[in-house]
Amino acid sequence: MNIALLIFGMALVTYIPRVIPAFVVDKIRFGKRLGKFINLIPYTAMTALIVPGIFNMDAKHWYVGAIGGAVAILLSCIKKIPSAVVVLASVLAVMVVYLF
Amino acid sequence: MQSNKLRSYIYGMKKSIPVFFGFLPVAITFALMAVGQGMSAVETVCMSVFVFAGASQIMAVGMLGTGAGALSIVLATFVLNLRHVIMSTCIFRKIKIKNALLKLLGGMSVTDEGFALITTEDDGKCDVFFMLGIITVTYLSWVLGTVVGVVASNVLPKIVADSFGIALYALFIALIVPDVKGNFKLFLTVVITAIINTVLCVFMESSWAIIISTLVGAAIGTFIVNDGNENTETEVAA
Repeated sequence: MNIALLIFGMALVTYIPRVIPAFVVDKIRFGKRLGKFINLIPYTAMTALIVPGIFNMDAKHWYVGAIGGAVAILLSCIKKIPSAVVVLASVLAVMVVYLF
Repeated sequence: MQSNKLRSYIYGMKKSIPVFFGFLPVAITFALMAVGQGMSAVETVCMSVFVFAGASQIMAVGMLGTGAGALSIVLATFVLNLRHVIMSTCIFRKIKIKNALLKLLGGMSVTDEGFALITTEDDGKCDVFFMLGIITVTYLSWVLGTVVGVVASNVLPKIVADSFGIALYALFIALIVPDVKGNFKLFLTVVITAIINTVLCVFMESSWAIIISTLVGAAIGTFIVNDGNENTETEVAA
């Protein structure tokens, strides 16, 4: 297998979908409904990235991801806590679960 | 004026710090697998430099292990990254860029994490320099993480590396919870999307499931989330 060729091919099919909208988006007119649809996508996309994947974060024990996620949700509800702190606290919670 | 640009750039870098913690374990996992499959250190780092897509790279190395050909790996990568067309559309609708070169560079902000950071940021703080700050930190985190993985994969205790597996999930949670918290209709949309994706994941590859549930969830959301306000942008973002 030619790894250089593989990297080239992968780079191409990764970069092209990322950049094409930059050149197309100005030419599309977004109506009210479509605008609303696009504005909701960050929330639905991130949700789809979290659930159900977080429960498979540990292949054997679903509750490991659940506990880390619960800690993240609780801390995120408190205003003024930077997301970096939320992330590290969640990592720490998972580490504690693994220790016991 | 100049200092505003710099401030925006640094703000973008600051906002991306959590991604560093999230990328590091993924990059280390990738590096471990790649070296284990017989890829050289240079090839492993080059893949991160040129491809810059965590899930795709890990999948590619896994497929290499099963003896898959280059064409099928490239095809699988394409499918896995199709969701970025949607994310990119959101990003470039939010940050208007005139300069073609900056548009080409801006494509590098389109990772799940870059998308998450940009689309949840206040419109006023979100410009091309903010975007460049995000690209700088996310890209360097990925490449440096890969180097660390190649060099020090045996030194890091397994329990620490495993624990960092929660980091990117925690980041996404930290980014959506503040908006969802006070907005029951948005909460409902999110729950529906989660259910759709969980069901779909039983029947198909998760990369397809994510695309479909993102679109269907948002489409359903347009009927749930209030339409009373003229400016839907502030309604959803507030």
